Formats: sequence, structure tokens, C-alpha cells
Amino acid sequence: MSEKIGSLFPTGKLIDGKPRAILFDASKCIGCRQCVHACKDWNDHPRTTIYDLSSTNWLTMEPPVLEGLSPHWARNSCMHCEFPVCAAVCPVEAITKYEEGPVVINQEVCIGCEYCIYACPWGALSQDDIRSVVSKDEVTGKAAKCTMCNDRLKENKKPFCVEACPVEALDFGLKEEISEKAGKRAREVGGSTYGAEEAGGGHVIYVLKEKRETYEIRRISSEKYPRHRIPLSLMIKDLLTLRCGLKGKMRALKLALIHPHRLLYRYWPWWRDRRSAWQK
Amino acid sequence: MGKILRVDLTSGSMRDENLPEEPLLKKFLGGQALATYILLHELSPTARPLDSQSMVAIMTGPITGTGLTPGGTKATAIYLSPLTEHTLGRGATSGFWGVYLKAAGYDGVIITGKAARPSYLFIHDGKASLRDAAKVWGKGTRATEDLLREEVGLKDAKVLCIGPAGENLVRAAMLVNDYNHTAAHSGGALFGSKNLKAIVVYGTARPKPHDKARLIDAGSRWRKTLNPRTPEGKKDAGHGLHLGTLPNLNFRSTLIADHARGFDQDRVTLRPCFQCQQLCPWDVEIGEGAHRGVVGHFNAGSEWLDTFFNLGIKGNDVLYLAERINDLGIECSHFSFGAGVAFEAWEKGLLGADKTGGIALEWGNTDTVDRLLEMTAHREGWLGNLLAEGPAQLAEAIGGDAPKWVVHTKKGTPAMHDWRPHFGQMLRELVASGGMKPQGGGSEKPPPDLRYRETWGPLNRDDPTGWPWSQVLAEQHRQFCGIIGGCWFALAPHKPDGLNSVLDSFNAITGWNFTLDEALDAGHRSMILQSLFGTQRGWTAEEDWKDVGPRFLEPVPDGKYKGFTIAKWLPELVYEYYRLSGRHEHTGRPLKSTLARLGLEEFMEWSQHDE
Repeated sequence: MSEKIGSLFPTGKLIDGKPRAILFDASKCIGCRQCVHACKDWNDHPRTTIYDLSSTNWLTMEPPVLEGLSPHWARNSCMHCEFPVCAAVCPVEAITKYEEGPVVINQEVCIGCEYCIYACPWGALSQDDIRSVVSKDEVTGKAAKCTMCNDRLKENKKPFCVEACPVEALDFGLKEEISEKAGKRAREVGGSTYGAEEAGGGHVIYVLKEKRETYEIRRISSEKYPRHRIPLSLMIKDLLTLRCGLKGKMRALKLALIHPHRLLYRYWPWWRDRRSAWQK
Repeated sequence: MGKILRVDLTSGSMRDENLPEEPLLKKFLGGQALATYILLHELSPTARPLDSQSMVAIMTGPITGTGLTPGGTKATAIYLSPLTEHTLGRGATSGFWGVYLKAAGYDGVIITGKAARPSYLFIHDGKASLRDAAKVWGKGTRATEDLLREEVGLKDAKVLCIGPAGENLVRAAMLVNDYNHTAAHSGGALFGSKNLKAIVVYGTARPKPHDKARLIDAGSRWRKTLNPRTPEGKKDAGHGLHLGTLPNLNFRSTLIADHARGFDQDRVTLRPCFQCQQLCPWDVEIGEGAHRGVVGHFNAGSEWLDTFFNLGIKGNDVLYLAERINDLGIECSHFSFGAGVAFEAWEKGLLGADKTGGIALEWGNTDTVDRLLEMTAHREGWLGNLLAEGPAQLAEAIGGDAPKWVVHTKKGTPAMHDWRPHFGQMLRELVASGGMKPQGGGSEKPPPDLRYRETWGPLNRDDPTGWPWSQVLAEQHRQFCGIIGGCWFALAPHKPDGLNSVLDSFNAITGWNFTLDEALDAGHRSMILQSLFGTQRGWTAEEDWKDVGPRFLEPVPDGKYKGFTIAKWLPELVYEYYRLSGRHEHTGRPLKSTLARLGLEEFMEWSQHDE
């Protein structure tokens, strides 16, 4: 796998290395948000707002209106990219891409630099802040997002959101089979798929019955490692201040020495030719 | 340790109390049982239902809002019934409100006193405040919900509120929450009498189950027993089809015809309760006719269909009116049985335009029924005021033979279906308090999970033998389901594992390891508390078969059950039910041995003394 997707981020294997994917069928979804609550249930998250992504709400169903009150619904969460930008920009390599699909943040390692939050083309990551926790003392400032239930996957179980869906709008399986199912279903409903190509493709594939715009889902090109939007000011602040702590800076420095080639995209994302070279 | 919020609306004082400690909590669990226990101790026997002395206790149960199970959604409001004025009143609701009351940090709310001006209670993460409700007073339940959510600035806030019917003390006014959900049978009148428009809740707390892994397993088994609803299933005439009867012309015909015409052109969206895969609640966008484009929000059941079928309305006009009645906040059978008598009296020349405000009460006229709903909710005119009072009061005021045409039980109204051909359901309706939706209903065979101790059946639908015991048993397991915070519509006792999976979910949450026998005892305890509440206020079991609207006991007028009535087996059916549930057949008082067996010795003074 590491050869296939380059070496811009850490990779790993959970069980058998066979890629999996989540299928979200918008033509079946009724907007009940049982998947959203199930995600909170499995991860013991407090009942913080279900209308915004946060460090304790890793999945939203859009639009942000009461359950059932829209004719069209879209899932908004991590797409578990094949080429995860979030992982590529992480200076402390806290984010791992697993061969089975999940892109997972190691909370022990994350220093809360926010690079991944700015970089994700879908805005699927959130920083732990006062809006997402019950008490101020619990704020960590670290990034969080959907893990594709990698803990359950290790036991060969489906993600909990998929288990919870009462109308079979969510499915999970080997990526090859899910891609095939998605394509077939899209043809049945006269629609299209989404997520299989965007940003180089991911492990969450949507079936859309209507046009993409109807669901207000972002248009993302199929280009791998799209240009990220980490503010220059943030990078400069990191270089010149003690933001994110000395320990974090030491780890970032050490990793920069070990993997210097990973610095280029992180700090020079618009250097397109070089980027394509890395992906070989 | 769970908490209860106690609110005195007169003084505006609010304080937290702990839930009772074990062993008391283990006896009553939550919901109806715990709330009734509180009222038995605190509500003055001389209090009138809509006095400021009166009180409402709203309780969740241990499985409300834990997630990981279906059906864990219930909040139950308990009070002295304004319908019967001497028995227990109860309204239980699902959806999300109970879940978020718990998330706000409370297992229940006790409300006493009367606010000086229209107010609403806002509970946000353990902090409660009383706020001015002038902005929403007079509004329907849908607008109230939207406006209050906007006012508190929290999209996730959940609202339990009353409509104009509650404000105007319609005796069966409902509490309405989360659009699709109602705690019917008079809680709305209690709120209105206290100038309380709504309770808005939001919080982030998560109830911690004792054993999460075990709960996931039990919840998943429970889910397998469900029979999820479908949008297609919402396009027929509802539960009456299963009963074999649809009410027509004030229970004077049961024939099923084109009642559901046009439903096939509607757009139906299922809108399930919190984490429940039974998928009962639904929204409809009417697709044809005069009300095309109107959106309605409904829960499980189909009482609101039969409500308007009974008045000669059919098709999508019924769904339009059903949305109206829920927005106004009137319990549907209360309205239908009252309006049914009025229409019949008009037809038979006993009621004239002088009493109806000039409206001709012609069967099947949607505009007329729409107008009557408005008049009822606002107690407008002679007719509106009496429709608000109730069918028995209206029939009495009309005079002549009208009292013979009325359907009621102890001045309350049965759930709005024509149950008359069925022993189990009729017995359930008769022995209920009259101030609530009945519990039980029996079955032809014992639930598979109870076959270790129950070997009877199948019962015969034409023979009363065995039905009283079937009712006792069903009432016990339904009561248990309710008091733990579970929803009957997610309870499938007729399926293998239908009771055990629920029980195991409860055990995983509480760590108490009840057996099925102990669970049924807990349900039995709740039944006894329910009748003790009536006993303290002068109720006797004889009323169950004597104080019944005659139309309810008339032989079925037509159709495949023509001529059937359970009346010929009364009062013996009722007597046997009381004997089998450990109460005296005439007084309904529990026997001393029953109280002792269930650990209710503290109520010994209310037992049957000469058993």
C-alpha cells in the first residue's frame, strides 16, 4: 500500500489489508439521524449539537433542519481518502492511513496545530473546543473526526453508524463490492456516485439520486492532494512561537529530519509538478 | 444518582431532588409507577384536577435516552384526571423530549402551583428558569415549538407544549412534543390550568449504562424482534383494518369502504423516534384534493384517522383535520365521541342551529368539523364549550336519548377505534382508569418468552374464557415496559425474545438482574398503584362496567362481527379480572396479601378489609 499511495504519511494495517468502504445511499436516507446518535453512543460522546461537526460529533446529516423535514439528505463526515491530505500535512504524523480504509488520528500524538482542519477538502475535522465538551476543563484543543470505527473493524464488525441505519441507507463491505453496488444502485435510480473519485478517491461512496448541487455537497476535483488552505500566518506562528508546546515542536523537528520529503507538500502545496512526482 | 426537578409555579421556586434510593427505586423503577407513588404521597385527596393545588409529575425511566436500544424514549406525565376527576390521569410520549430531559440532567419534573402569567420552563444543562410565554400563548403546538426553539437559540432544544386547547382547559387537551408526538389524555389541561405553556429542554449529559457491551447485545436482540413500518404501510386506513371495523356515523356502522381514498398520492416520510428502528412516526405531504401540499406530522397508531372516519370524513381531508387537531392539542377520541353525539342529535332533530352557532352538523362535511375543532379548542359557544367538557357532558346537555348514543368509560374516552368485537381490547378499555390510554389487551396465546410458566391458549374470540387472565398478564408486561421508559410500539411480546431482550436491556442499564417474574411483578405493582390512586378518591371497580357510555356496549351493528357484544358477559369478566389481579371484584381495592406480596404494605389502610 505504501508504494501505491506514496510516503507522505504513516500507514498501517488493522486486519487483512483488504480495503473496505462505507456506502451512503442518499436515495434511501430519511434523515432520521440515528447514524449520528449511534456514532455518539459508540464513542461515548456527550449529547452536544447534532447539527455541526465537532470533536464530539463526527457526523452530521445535512441540511441542518429537524429530522425528516427535508426531501434530500447528505452525509457529512470523513471520506477516508485514499490520499489523505489531513495526514500529509500533520507535522507530528499523528494521522495514519490504514490499508483497510480508515484514516485515524492518534489522540496521544496530536498537538492541536489545526493544519489538518484547514487542509481537509471537506472540512470534516474539528478541533476540540468549548462547544464540543461538557466542561471547560475537558478541552484538549486536539483534532478529531470519524475513525470509520477502526476499533470495531479490528474485530471484523461494521461501523456503528452503518449498524444503526434503520432503512439500509448505509452499507459496509469490501471496497470493490461496495463500488460495484454503488454503481449499480446509481444506475437503478438514474443518479450518480460521489466520493469514489474526489480528491483521488476515498472509502466512503455516495449514491446520489438528484444532482450533486441538490444535496449541497462540495464539488471536489479528482486531483490527488488538492492544494490545501492552511493559512501562512498559522505556519509562521508555529515557527516563531511556542504554540503547540515544546514537546510537539521537538517531535515535528525530529520527523522533519527523518522524512524531509514530507515537508514540501505541507509547506509548499502549490508546487504541483513536484507533487505528482511524489505520488509515483 | 438521578435527579428530579421540583418546580412551584406559584412562588417560582425550583429545586433539585435526588431520585429515591434503593430499595424504593428498585420497586417503582420510573415512569408511571414512580410518578404515581409520588402523587399518592403528595397530592391532597381533596385537590381538584385543575386547581392550583393539583400537580403533574413527569418521569422518564431507566432506559429512556441511554441509546443502544429501540424504544428507549418514554416520558410519562401523571396527574389527577380532569376527565374522571377521581382516577389517575396519564399521558406518555415518545420522540426526543424525554431523551433530552435526561440530557439536561433530570429524570423527571414535578410541577405544582400556578404561574401568575403565561410562562414556560427552560431546562438547560442542569439549570432551570421560568420565562415569559406571552409570545407563544394562543399559538398552535407547531408554531410554539418553532418559536421557543428560536427564542432559546438552540437548534437541538426539544419542546413539550400545549396548544389553544390546553390554554382553554379542554378536559382532554394534550401535551405535544417534537411535532409528531403527543402525551394525550389531559396533561395539556393541567399545564393550561397552571399557566404553563411549555417545557423546553436541552443538555449534553449521557446516562451511563451499567454494562455497555451487554446493552449493545441486548439492544440488538430487541431490534431483531421489531417489525419496522414502511411508507407504503401508512397509506391505508390504519389499525381498524386489523380490528375488522372502522367507526362510521358515531359507531353506528363498522363497514370498511373507500376511507383511504387518495392516500396513494401522498408523499410519506418516516420520522422515527430517538434510536428506534420500529419507524412509527411519519410525516405526510398531501398529494391531491383541497388540501394538497399540507404537511401533517403523526405518530404510531391511527386513532386520528378513525376520529374523523367516525364523523363521515374520508380520504385526505382526514389527514388535514388530523394535523389540525394535533396543532390545537385536543385528544382525538374526546373530540370524536363528542362531535359524534352532536352530529347524531342533529340528524335526529334533537339539536338545532340555535345551539350550534348556526352550523349545520352534516356528516362528512370537512369545513364543519374544522370549525368545530376551533370551537372546541377555544370553548366557543354552547357547543364548543360542551365539546371541550366531554362527550358525556354534551350528551347530558342535549338531553332526550342522547346519553344512550355516547361512548365513554368513566367520562373518559377509549382509544379511538371500534374495539367492540374483541374481548381483550374491550376488557382493557373498561378496566383502565378512564383518564388514560388503556394498557394490556391480552393475546390469544401467552408470549413465547412466558411459556415457562404460562401454558394456556389459544383463546377463542367468541368465548370469554381466559381473556381476563390474558389481560392481567398483558397489562403487567406493558406496565413494565412503560415504567422502565420503553415504548409499547417497540415491544413485541408475541415474538420469541420479545420480552427477554427488553428485560436484558433494562438489566444491562441498571445492573439489577431482574427475572421476567420480577419484571411482571413490577408491572403489577404499577397497576395496583394506579387503582389505589382511584381508591383514595372514591373510585370502585363497579364503575368499570356501570359507568360506560351505552353505545360502547351495544352489539356490533353490521359487518362480520354483527351482533357481537361482550355486554352479556358483564360484570363477570370485570370481576374475574380484579380477582385474578389480587383485588376485590366489587371495590377494586387490593387484597392485603397482594400488597404484602408486592411490598406495598405502606398502603395497607386502603386494602380490602373484609376479604
